[in-house]
Amino acid sequence: MENAIAWIFIFPLFGSVFVALSRYVNIKLAYPISVLSMAGALWAGVETLKQAMASPNHEISYLLGGWTLDLYPRGVGIEFRADLLASLIALIVLGVGLLVTVYSKIHVEKETPNKEAIYYSLMMLQITGLAGICLTGDAFNLYVLIEVAALTGYGLIAMGSNRAAAATYNYLILGTIGASLYLLGVGYLYIKTGTLNMVGIREVIEANGLAESATMQVAFVLIGVGILIKMAFFPFHAWLPNAYCNAPTTTSCLLAPLVTKVMIYVMIRMVLSVFGVEFSFESTIWVSWMPWLVVIAIVCAAFLALSQREIKRMLAYLIVAEVGYMVGGVWIYNYYGLIGSIFHIISDACMTLCLFLGAGIILHKCKTTHFDGLRGLFSKMPLTMIGFFIGGFSIIGLPPTCGFFSKWYLITGGMVSGRWEYLIVLMFSTMVMVILFFRLIERIHLAVDESGKNLGKGHGDLGLTKEQTRFDEAPLVMLIPLLIAASTVLIIGVYNQEVVNQIETFLQAYDLPTGVVYK
Amino acid sequence: MKLFSLIPVFVIGVLLLWAGQDFPKWGDVESPASKSPVSSHFIANTGVDTEVPNMVTAVLADYRGFDTMFETVVVFIAGMAVIAILRGSSVGRPRRKDHEVEAEPDLIVTNTVRLIVPVIQIFAFYVLAHGHVSPGGGFQGGVLMGASFILIALSWDLEKAMSRFPIERCLFVAAMGIVLYGGIGLLSMMLGGEFLDYAELEKILPVSREMARYHAMLGVEIGVGFTVAAIMFVLYANLASEGRLKQGL
Repeated sequence: MENAIAWIFIFPLFGSVFVALSRYVNIKLAYPISVLSMAGALWAGVETLKQAMASPNHEISYLLGGWTLDLYPRGVGIEFRADLLASLIALIVLGVGLLVTVYSKIHVEKETPNKEAIYYSLMMLQITGLAGICLTGDAFNLYVLIEVAALTGYGLIAMGSNRAAAATYNYLILGTIGASLYLLGVGYLYIKTGTLNMVGIREVIEANGLAESATMQVAFVLIGVGILIKMAFFPFHAWLPNAYCNAPTTTSCLLAPLVTKVMIYVMIRMVLSVFGVEFSFESTIWVSWMPWLVVIAIVCAAFLALSQREIKRMLAYLIVAEVGYMVGGVWIYNYYGLIGSIFHIISDACMTLCLFLGAGIILHKCKTTHFDGLRGLFSKMPLTMIGFFIGGFSIIGLPPTCGFFSKWYLITGGMVSGRWEYLIVLMFSTMVMVILFFRLIERIHLAVDESGKNLGKGHGDLGLTKEQTRFDEAPLVMLIPLLIAASTVLIIGVYNQEVVNQIETFLQAYDLPTGVVYK
Repeated sequence: MKLFSLIPVFVIGVLLLWAGQDFPKWGDVESPASKSPVSSHFIANTGVDTEVPNMVTAVLADYRGFDTMFETVVVFIAGMAVIAILRGSSVGRPRRKDHEVEAEPDLIVTNTVRLIVPVIQIFAFYVLAHGHVSPGGGFQGGVLMGASFILIALSWDLEKAMSRFPIERCLFVAAMGIVLYGGIGLLSMMLGGEFLDYAELEKILPVSREMARYHAMLGVEIGVGFTVAAIMFVLYANLASEGRLKQGL
């Protein structure tokens, strides 16, 4: 299929419109239509990745509207560029999208009655936006797609509990500020370069020697800060925990693994493809202080996560800490750090998906995600808990989960570039994650409550009746996506070399240091 | 707190001023944006490529048609999100009294509106269809069309306007707008080009490649107009009645 890359957005876009129309025929059609169109999009994503791997320079360029690239710099139309990085991340987005769509059947019927059609429709447009962000090769088109992803996100979150509206309002204000800063930055880029194509901008920067220009420096700061707000980097994270905790369950399952990760992808894309390695790392001062901000971010987020008594809220702060990892991986300015950062986007999406799907099932079965409601869950829902804890172990970084290998590269990057502060904070936050998840295991297996009072009679007795610990697994439609996500975490871990090979092929085109640069 | 929020405002202000020192001069023909081959290509070749005299429309609907498609999708999302948030949100809450208006529709106002609504709607079609040669297009035409229904709602009441354009039909029309835009793109892909490569439509239209682009642009503008008009009214009806879709302002 030569148009596979176009089908990636055609399937969910048309799917969402037909889902919105399904209410005129039969509302029951909404779910099958969304699952089918997401499956189609995933197929297109796999096909695109295959094509990118097979092509000689490891990228495919798709010219929307059929306008050629002949005119310097890189044509008049909008270009979709799928290099290995873009198609890998897009594939993850589509995979997560399909799993969450399958998973959402019961939750959506229960939490948003009579609005299923609108819910699925917004959900698929969200995935369209996120996949488009990964693939687009045009700085302004990226803004439009960010807007699509953000607006659907506001709608999806606000459909949640009573407090969701206030949380959405916070998100809306901060998200809009972030997007506006990005747009302003793109405007400055256009003033100085006269083009909007990402590669075109880099070509002009290099040809005209714009690295020292004040306008370009300010554009870099505006775009950088805009994206940092969007990805909930620590001082700008305030919108995230409330938004994800009050959102409908499936919304947090979809947004938590994807939105922040895709924004980190955008940052990598801006640094490597738009401004270029030389400009971003040599001509700006970000390299010298960003790792220190990352240190503060990870430490604070880790402590905030530690102080939570509710799974979803704890996971939300974990995401903020993970964002710190990946941002740090970019700004330690090192080949291995960037491999780690990109690999961590992939593995973090999979493991966060596991955790949120698991938390959704716990919420469905136990009606609470507070730590006190977890006792005896392993005997009640063994498969769900295995899936959940595979995700948890991957966050900690236990082999053979993928989290181990991505963290390995991040730590290697920290070591070879001599950024010891980053290395130490990674180790520190790993310890915190160990506490977080083993505390959960403890709460499940031991009959001790918050104040330390023993509730059981000893010898493994949990103080629960037979009825409460009887095998009562989640419905298959929720369990299967969780188990697929958990096995993906393990499979990516075992075959990590295959993934890293693709990332290395992608990074070979950029001139990145493999040793100490920063003094 | 107010003082605290002044700090980022000040910082960004200084940053923006500092960026200005390096700007090209105002109206400078030598500035990168004007000198770039891209801008010159638009000025020199839109007529040749697309037969459309209005450059803005050609850039919006053809060269960067993909952006415009997603802008239309954004409008569609806005409408759906408002419905999603407001529908059912006011169940059980008492209606705010200050929204109640106890008056018959005014004779002079309603009769004036009766006269001007058809004119507004015909003008909306004109703006929509004339976007190729003069300022206008789908967004503007759609807004005018939506405004005419809002005018009806303002001068009579929401029910009168909704009897002409029910909310269910609004959503259908809005979705059809997206289907029309995306469908033209998909059709040109099916005919052998890239997505939104309108020139391929020459295979089914009895015109040249350039004129195929011209006509396809009209098609996508109509799609945009559908979506914008319907969503304008959806937004008004839902916001004015707190999602109840009754009485309203």
